[in-house]
Amino acid sequence: MKNYLALLSLACAFTAHAQGMNDLLKAADRYRVSSANMQVETQINTFNTDGSPDKERRYTVFAQANHQSLVLMQSPAEKGQKVLMLGDDFWLLMPGSQRPLRITPMQKLLGDASTGDIATLSWADDYNAQFVAEESCGDAPCTHLSLTAARKGVTYQRIELWIGKARREPIKADLYVQSDKLAKQARFVMDKPQAPTAVAEMVLLDQLSNHKETRVRYLARKERSVPEAWLNPMFLARNPSLD
Amino acid sequence: MSASTRWLAACLLAGTAVAAHADSEFSGQLRGRWDDRTASLIGPLAQAAQLDPTVAPPQASAATLEAELRGRWQMLSAVATLRSEKPESAAWHSDGVMNELYASGEAAGWQLSAGRKIVAWDVGYAFRPNDIIQQERRRTLLSFTPEGRALLMGEHFDARTAWSLVWVNPQRAVDDDAGSAMGAEEQALALRVFRNVGEADWHGFARWGQHTRASLGAAVSWVADDSLELHASGRWAERADVLTFNTPASGLATSSPFTVATRNNCAQALVGGTWTAENRLSLMAEFWYDGTAASNAQWDDWQARNAQITAAWVNGGPAALRRGVAGNLAWQSQAFAGQSLRRSNVYLRASWDHEGWQPSLDVLYMPADGGRMVTAALGWQGDRVRVDAGLRVNGGPDDSVAAQLPVRRQAYAAL
Repeated sequence: MKNYLALLSLACAFTAHAQGMNDLLKAADRYRVSSANMQVETQINTFNTDGSPDKERRYTVFAQANHQSLVLMQSPAEKGQKVLMLGDDFWLLMPGSQRPLRITPMQKLLGDASTGDIATLSWADDYNAQFVAEESCGDAPCTHLSLTAARKGVTYQRIELWIGKARREPIKADLYVQSDKLAKQARFVMDKPQAPTAVAEMVLLDQLSNHKETRVRYLARKERSVPEAWLNPMFLARNPSLD
Repeated sequence: MSASTRWLAACLLAGTAVAAHADSEFSGQLRGRWDDRTASLIGPLAQAAQLDPTVAPPQASAATLEAELRGRWQMLSAVATLRSEKPESAAWHSDGVMNELYASGEAAGWQLSAGRKIVAWDVGYAFRPNDIIQQERRRTLLSFTPEGRALLMGEHFDARTAWSLVWVNPQRAVDDDAGSAMGAEEQALALRVFRNVGEADWHGFARWGQHTRASLGAAVSWVADDSLELHASGRWAERADVLTFNTPASGLATSSPFTVATRNNCAQALVGGTWTAENRLSLMAEFWYDGTAASNAQWDDWQARNAQITAAWVNGGPAALRRGVAGNLAWQSQAFAGQSLRRSNVYLRASWDHEGWQPSLDVLYMPADGGRMVTAALGWQGDRVRVDAGLRVNGGPDDSVAAQLPVRRQAYAAL
C-alpha cells in the first residue's frame, strides 16, 4: 500500500510539474499570440555580417487553431507565393502554378527566417518543456527551459528557452534542427521594456550557414478566423483573393 | 526607339497605371531573354540543311522581350502576354496572347469559372500523365505562362477534400477527327477528386474525350519523412492520338510520312522523389514510361529511313533532286514533336538554394539508346529583379534520338 501511495504521489508531482511547465509556456506564448485565431502582419529584415542591410520581406500570417497556418508572401520578389501548414503537413503554392507542391518539413526550413519562424507563434501546443535552472539573463532573473518537440512537423526539434521570472516574457532561445545542430539563436524585443505586453521583434542570428542577422517584426496583430476552404491547398491553387 | 520597344513600353506603362486603381488588382512583369542556339551536325535536319539550307533552316538564335500583365476586376480575371522577338538576321515581329480571361463566382457552395483558364493537374515535375486539361510542356528552360483552355468548371472544397468538374473546349463542334484531339483541343469532360490523408495527398482523375473517349488516372504525393517526398502518377487511356511514322517506299516521298493515328489502350506512369538536406541541397529523381511515345521498333524504322535516304540520295543521287531530298529529310524531324522522345525516361536533378542564388543541374537520360539532355542553370532572385542563365546540351551516341535533335546546344540569359 505504501508503495502505491509513493507511486501515486510521484505521478501527481510529475503531472503538476508538467502542468506548471505548460502554464509557463502558455504565459510566454501570450506575448506573441493573444488568441487561437490570428492575422499577423510581419516584416523581416536581413542584415549581412557587417551590419549592412541585405533584404526586406513582408508576410501576412493567418495563424489558426489546431496547428493550422497560412502564410502569404507580400514582397515583390515573392508576391503570390503561399505556404499552407496543417499540423505536420505543408504545401507551397507558387503564383504562376495551379498545382500545390507538397513539401517536407526540411523544405519549410529554407530561408533566412524560415516559414516556420514566421508562422509558429506558440510553443505550448507543440513542445514538452523541462525545467533546467534558474539563471540570470542580464540583470534580471530568468527560467531556463528545455523544449522537445511533441509532434514531428515542428520547425525545430529542440529549443532552449529563457523566460523572465517576474513577467514570464520570452527573453532568448537557442533553436536546434533535427540533427541537433544549433540552427539559430533568437532574442525577443518587447514593446515596452518596463511593462511588456507583446513581443515587438524577434532577432534571429543564423548559426548554421551564413551567420546573418534576421529581424522579424510584428507590425500588426488582430483576431481573425479564416473560412475553412482557405486551408484547403486545392482552393489556394485557384489563386483566390484572400482579403 | 524601335516600334516594338515603344509598343512594349506603352503596354507596361498602361499596366502600371491600372495597378494604382483601388478596387482592382493589377500587376505587370517585363522579361528580356536571349537564346543562343547551336545546330546539331548530325541528324536528318542537319543533313537537310547541308543539302539545301532554305528548305528547313535551323532555329535561329533570338532576342525576346515579353510583357505579362495580370489583372482581376470584380468577377473577371485575365492574364495577357505581349511578345516581341528578333531572330538573328531577321526583323522584329510581335504578337500577343490572352493566356487567361475568365469569370468566376460562387453558387450553392460551388466555385464556378467560365472562360479561358489554365487548369494544371498532377504531381510530377518532368512529366505529368494526368495533366489532362492543360497538357503543359514540361522541362522548359524557363518557366512561362501557358495559354489556357476554353472551359466551364465547377469546384467544391471542404477541409481536406476538393472536387473539380470541367467541361473543356465546349465550343468545339462535334467531330471524331483524330487531329482535333492532338494538343488537348478536343471537347472533353474531366473530373478530379483530391483528398489529403495525413502525410499523403491522393488524386483521382477521369476524362471522357469526344475522340479519345475514356481515361482514368490516379496520383499520390507522400511525405515519407522530414527530408523525403515521394510521388507517383499513372493513367490508362482507351485511346490516344499520336504522330505515327508510316514507312514510305524506297523512293523519295511526295508528302510527309507522319500522320496522326489513334492508338488503343495507352498507359503512362511516373514515380519520383525529392530529398532535401539541411544545407538546402535538393536532389530529385523521376522515372517515367510514356506509352504514347514512339516504340523502339518505330524508332528503328525511322533510323532505317534516315539511312536509306542518306545512302540512296544524299551520297549518290542526282543534284537536281537535292531540294526534294532535303524536304524528305526535314520531314523526318517531325518525329521529335511528342512529349517524350522515348517511352522509358530517367530524370535526375540537383539544386541548391543559397543567399538568393539557385544553381541547378539536371539530366534526362533515355536508356533505350543512351541519349541525354543535360541542363545547367543559375538563377538569382533580388528584391524586384530575377536573373537566369543556363545551358542545355543534347547528346549521346550518334544514333541516339537526342543526339539527332535539330539543336545541339542552347544557351540562354534572361532578366
